[in-house]
Amino acid sequence: MDTNVKDPKVKDALDNVRAAAQQLHAAIGDAAAKRNEAAKADFQAIPLKTKAVMDSIKGSIGAQNEVAKKHLTEALTHLEATKKHADQSLKNTGQAFQTSVTQTLADARAAVEKVTEAVAAKRSAQTHK
Amino acid sequence: MRNYVAVVFNGTSKAYEALHAIWQLDSEGEITVHGTGVVHRNDLGDFQVDTKETHPGLATAVGVGLGALLGLFAGPAGAAVGAAGGAAIGAATGGAVGVVADLGRASTRDQAGVEAAFVLARGQSAVIADVSEDRTSYIDNRMSDLGGVVYRRAKSDLEDDAWFDDDYFPSRYLYPYEYIPSAYSGWD
Repeated sequence: MDTNVKDPKVKDALDNVRAAAQQLHAAIGDAAAKRNEAAKADFQAIPLKTKAVMDSIKGSIGAQNEVAKKHLTEALTHLEATKKHADQSLKNTGQAFQTSVTQTLADARAAVEKVTEAVAAKRSAQTHK
Repeated sequence: MRNYVAVVFNGTSKAYEALHAIWQLDSEGEITVHGTGVVHRNDLGDFQVDTKETHPGLATAVGVGLGALLGLFAGPAGAAVGAAGGAAIGAATGGAVGVVADLGRASTRDQAGVEAAFVLARGQSAVIADVSEDRTSYIDNRMSDLGGVVYRRAKSDLEDDAWFDDDYFPSRYLYPYEYIPSAYSGWD
């Protein structure tokens, strides 16, 4: 039996990190599409969700190759910014709220990008083994 | 290799089938998808980008970023024209409503230039994807099966292009997961 054949149903830790980061971006995007008060209500959960993704990255980073580690470290930086802007958005109102929501979304997008780059690096390394 | 791919279809539903197929390839580990988006063009020439965002400023940025990207697929001069056209590409919530690109007000010559710069003809839809792929055949074969025409540009081409600065870099406006608006069927 060829043990190198990957079962797509089996998700590893990095796949789970990516899924969590994607869900975070989706949650922020859904909240951002709402009106001010409804958006703010949805934003209450964003800092905690962000922290959960950060913890997930920290728990899995040690098992990754060097390229993936670099991308995940950058993802953590973007997630810190995501959390900071999400915290700010809860305090802000009006235009300042919209600005911090937009920044939160952009930071989360950048974080997902870095996690996905880590996934690509891992897959590419497996392909070229 | 990191590439931008546009797959053009004659019809909306095929574009969403393609979107799903691209994410399926990711799930199978054949490619890694960094982001996807779907752009439609109706028979009047109006563009629509599927997006959840309703922010006017963000909608404009989405239009400029993806418009310039669409232009780039058509050739080196396309990005500038695409960005100009893209500034008028709206972003409509849920895909239910088309937003006028306002190309109809352009002079005939300007409009011809815009038409030539886009790979997306009237009545067509395109899936745009930012992917890492070791082999291009996975996407090419799957999209060919669905009847799509594949255009591909290296991400490094965009990084050298003045249109794609931090504000309008298209990756930012592509969804990092499979997003299909619930009301898309209204476009067929």
